[in-house]
Amino acid sequence: MILQLQNVSKRFGGLKAVNGVDLSIESGEIVGLIGPNGAGKTTLMNLISGTFTPDSGNILFNGVDITGKEPYEVCRYGISRTYQIPRPFPGMTALLNVAVGVLCGKKRPKMSLSDAMLDASHYLEMVGLFGKRNTLAQDMSLFELRSLELARALATTPSLLLVDEVMAGLNQVEVLKAIRLIRKIIDEYHVTILWIEHIMKIIMEATDRVVVVHYGEVIGSGLPKDVVSDPKIIEAYLGEKIA
Amino acid sequence: MVKIEHKRALLVIRIGDKKFEWPIETRYWRNPLLGIAGLALLPLLFVSKPNILALITTANIYAAIAIPLSWQITGIGRLNFGPQFFVGLGGYTAGLLSSIYLWGPWATLPVVILMGLGFGFMLSPLTSLAKGLYFSLITLILPLIFLEVTYYFSIFQGETGIYGISPLVSVQSMTLELVIATYFSLILMVLFLYIIHKVMTSRVGVYTAAINDDEEVANNLGLNIKAWKVACFVITSVMITVVGWLAAHFYGTFAGVTFLPLSFMLKILLVVMIGGRGSVYGPIYGAYFVVLLEEALTVLGTVHYIVFPFILLILLFTLPEGLYGIYRKHRYREYYPTIRVRKR
Repeated sequence: MILQLQNVSKRFGGLKAVNGVDLSIESGEIVGLIGPNGAGKTTLMNLISGTFTPDSGNILFNGVDITGKEPYEVCRYGISRTYQIPRPFPGMTALLNVAVGVLCGKKRPKMSLSDAMLDASHYLEMVGLFGKRNTLAQDMSLFELRSLELARALATTPSLLLVDEVMAGLNQVEVLKAIRLIRKIIDEYHVTILWIEHIMKIIMEATDRVVVVHYGEVIGSGLPKDVVSDPKIIEAYLGEKIA
Repeated sequence: MVKIEHKRALLVIRIGDKKFEWPIETRYWRNPLLGIAGLALLPLLFVSKPNILALITTANIYAAIAIPLSWQITGIGRLNFGPQFFVGLGGYTAGLLSSIYLWGPWATLPVVILMGLGFGFMLSPLTSLAKGLYFSLITLILPLIFLEVTYYFSIFQGETGIYGISPLVSVQSMTLELVIATYFSLILMVLFLYIIHKVMTSRVGVYTAAINDDEEVANNLGLNIKAWKVACFVITSVMITVVGWLAAHFYGTFAGVTFLPLSFMLKILLVVMIGGRGSVYGPIYGAYFVVLLEEALTVLGTVHYIVFPFILLILLFTLPEGLYGIYRKHRYREYYPTIRVRKR
């Protein structure tokens, strides 16, 4: 088991954003994390990546307790992430954005900047951005930024990749490209993926298992085809009448 | 016939049929060397004019403070409004040791560095604890508290300041002493320039640039931002403390009323901003410009106190990338090294 969340809770003032979540992910699995807006999906991701510290519960990664660890430590254990709204280093070129991931991800004190850039160019080529290597991130399109974030996250050589709504804001052609890209990442790097997504079609096709979160609690988990036919989950998404 | 064309990052000089191209980028190694050689010639050109030598030294001192400060601003992602606190620390440490115990400049230097390290470490948690405006406000207040302390405790001798500080060099000729001291300031400035340039074009430069752009993302990518911010703050603080040491031994007297008030800090920040924030060479342009402008405006009499900041304000608005940015535009920033990478 690569990741295990044991009774994890997080509260913001009076709001229980995550409430007693138990979640296990096997190595090599592609797990879709779905739920209505404000269900606590991104908070869960922030808890795993170390951005937030849980109020209670434990997070184990490869058997090691990473609860309350700093985000940089979590990354060095092998967990990397992308963001719902892309957050590149805007004034840096695409190549340097990825080079930061190469240099910082796993402790590489002896790697020179030029070596890191060579390594970064490999990741850029993989996501199809090699031609844009000297373009500033602030001048890139949304799809390019999402690809850049994936390349940067991969550059830290993670075992677990947390992908947060990578398809949001993309047109249909770009969505297809993004799906191809994620499949390529899975094939080439064999990373485990925890993937937040709203587009059910993608979740149905691309994931091995789906976990449904509602009001900060896990209300269902299983094969995608089973989960979408569960009345409890339909109710959470579409309301009581339709369910 | 000589014709000069200015293309992007290139000066094209045509003499008759012959064409010469000169890269005007500072990363082109010959340009910084030529610039430094030009600065090194200045004291020799004005040997007989002590007031100009003093101006050159002042500009070098401003630049020596602004160069590390410029990197600090990017490295900790916060605007330090009180770099002069460390100038005061270095100046008073050197001054007190020299006037009370009669220590020479080379004896006071290690103590000054230790003081810079100590206070740098002591204040470094602020780089993580105090965010944005709060950091700026705290650093703004620190030198003002220090100034009050110098008035309160007689050891600092209030507005008069400490005098009788041993000079950097002792020779028979006053003129020669001044020229050598001017070169000291130039050497210190160039040394800082070299150190910061090396740092900025290394992996550390990329780390600090990442912190400047988005420290949360940098942290999530495996960068220990707290440690790097502390390192950046302490190193640059020590450098600025050493400038205080130089000022004390150069002028032979050191008073907080000269170096600690807001007006001094404003000049330094303007040097950074006009030179171009985040650039290595920008502070040198900024420092010489500010010092020369201030001197030129003295012909206006007391009105120059109003005209000087007014002109600087206009420049800040019209040149957001600084004087240095005229050449650089927004193509890329100095701390982002561009290494051409070939496809594997």
